[in-house]
Amino acid sequence: MKKAHFSRDTLRFPQKDFDMVKEGTISLGIVAVVVLGLAAAFGAPYRPAITNQQIAQSNPVLFAQTAMGDLDGTGAMAQYGPPYNNGFHGQPPQSTQSIAGFSPETWWGTPYPLNTAQDDVLQPLTMLAKASNNANLLSAVQQYEAAPFSQQMKWDQNMEKALTKATAQGGQLVLPTGDYGPVSTLISAEVSLGQSGLFSGALNRETNQGVYRYNVQNDLLFLQGATLHKIAGQLNMKGEQWGINHDEQAYPGPWWLTPYTFLYQIPPWSVSSAGDEMAAYTVAILFLLLILVPFIPGLNKVSRILPVHRLIWRDWYKHLEQTGACSTCPFKEGCAKEFRDATAAVAASQNGEVPGCYRPLSHPLPSPTTVASHTV
Amino acid sequence: MNWTRALRTKASEQLTWDDLLPSEQPVYVSSLVYSLGVLTLSSFVIVVASGVIMASKGALWYQTSSLGDFFRSIHFWSVQAFFFAMTMHLVAQFFMGGWREGRAFTWILGALLFGLSVVEAFTGYLSRGDFFSQWNQVQSKDAFNGAGVDGFLNVLNNGQIYGIHIAVLPLILLLFVGWHVLEVRRKGVVPPYQAKVSK
Repeated sequence: MKKAHFSRDTLRFPQKDFDMVKEGTISLGIVAVVVLGLAAAFGAPYRPAITNQQIAQSNPVLFAQTAMGDLDGTGAMAQYGPPYNNGFHGQPPQSTQSIAGFSPETWWGTPYPLNTAQDDVLQPLTMLAKASNNANLLSAVQQYEAAPFSQQMKWDQNMEKALTKATAQGGQLVLPTGDYGPVSTLISAEVSLGQSGLFSGALNRETNQGVYRYNVQNDLLFLQGATLHKIAGQLNMKGEQWGINHDEQAYPGPWWLTPYTFLYQIPPWSVSSAGDEMAAYTVAILFLLLILVPFIPGLNKVSRILPVHRLIWRDWYKHLEQTGACSTCPFKEGCAKEFRDATAAVAASQNGEVPGCYRPLSHPLPSPTTVASHTV
Repeated sequence: MNWTRALRTKASEQLTWDDLLPSEQPVYVSSLVYSLGVLTLSSFVIVVASGVIMASKGALWYQTSSLGDFFRSIHFWSVQAFFFAMTMHLVAQFFMGGWREGRAFTWILGALLFGLSVVEAFTGYLSRGDFFSQWNQVQSKDAFNGAGVDGFLNVLNNGQIYGIHIAVLPLILLLFVGWHVLEVRRKGVVPPYQAKVSK
């Protein structure tokens, strides 16, 4: 037999006047005034993005080191793995995250291909050489591409070492003497291309077909390593500094990401090489718990046990107490079971009895303690 | 079964004008917490309105002109107001057990709205076009990739992020907000927990 369920229809409670349209209009007005006032008084944070050109001009050595990492495969993006590439020159990917073999990152192949040596260095320099009729640069690119991998690595490693001692004079790299093959020509030209401001255009051309520029992947990824980390660190915006949780200026940031950002401050999330994957799935599980609160035994009773609702409905409880509505209620026992004592409820309603809290007001309610009331 | 007639019957029974535009409320509706939902909705209206104006002028406008900057500020602060009111609303509904007496689906829609809003706000931060966008775009790629979302989303593709921010998620949010409000109106506000009966 289907168990009878006592419907706790809100319309059976005593009612009071209420104007939803007026409440909504007043609320919209208040929010509009507050928001417009804050916008007019404080504006909103905006710090211009860092361009390749700025870095090439202000720190040519760092720019050259970034380009070298892309060329010789020591850069983070060169060896990242899916969805950009499969590692560098046969080496396994270095940034693929995995929790006990669970690695959904790798399921889709390389839909956003990035070969840093080609895309960040050789291709832009080929374009530059052709655009400027620079036969010397073009032959340097061709010499590098034609050389065996071991030879390329020898030149690259010599250059990597040299860049740790390199200086910049008048915006140009000054390198110690060494065997760099064509790489010194390539890197000097790369720095010049960066300083000219045309480098980003070359990178953006690679990830967009035709005229329009929607996908800025390669442009964004060029500086993503040491350069942006250094700048972000100065602004307290790195992951371990609660980065994404706050804005870079004295404005409120996306504080609603606090639970997510918190994970990056504590082990195992803060120390695992799969920390991002772990954080993403931890938050997903927490979110699922939030959605399912009504059905999770224990969790769905917490609000009943904690007395916060006594504060929210304090006027109502005061009213029930003053009128003795509950102590004389025929559903007294059933009420304690959240109106689910079907037998008592049905029997009593058949006798024409009404729950105490549904009875018309015989005593006025205590004065409302708040100015606003709404139902959404 | 006639689907049209069934829908009409259900709607006319469960969504009367008294439900949709009530001029009375149960007497227990007497607290500031009942304003948090409508404050969330009010903020949402301003978020959408300022967002539509910004979208109609284009992304460069709100980065380069003073008027665009002002509308971006309105968008920024209304988002803060929206999240503040929504979070307080969520917390209050938790303490009130807002899912009780057949209202679980209303809670589920509300929780989904919170999650969707977080993603919507994040795509907005990435569409700001400044250093915050740049840094968080390259940082968050590892999280999106690691979670396996890379099959669908290239977080470094601004065209995709901007499209998701101004069309895909707003449409889903509008649908869910409307549904959430209809559910609240259909069921009415959750009654208080039972008072402690003194023996």
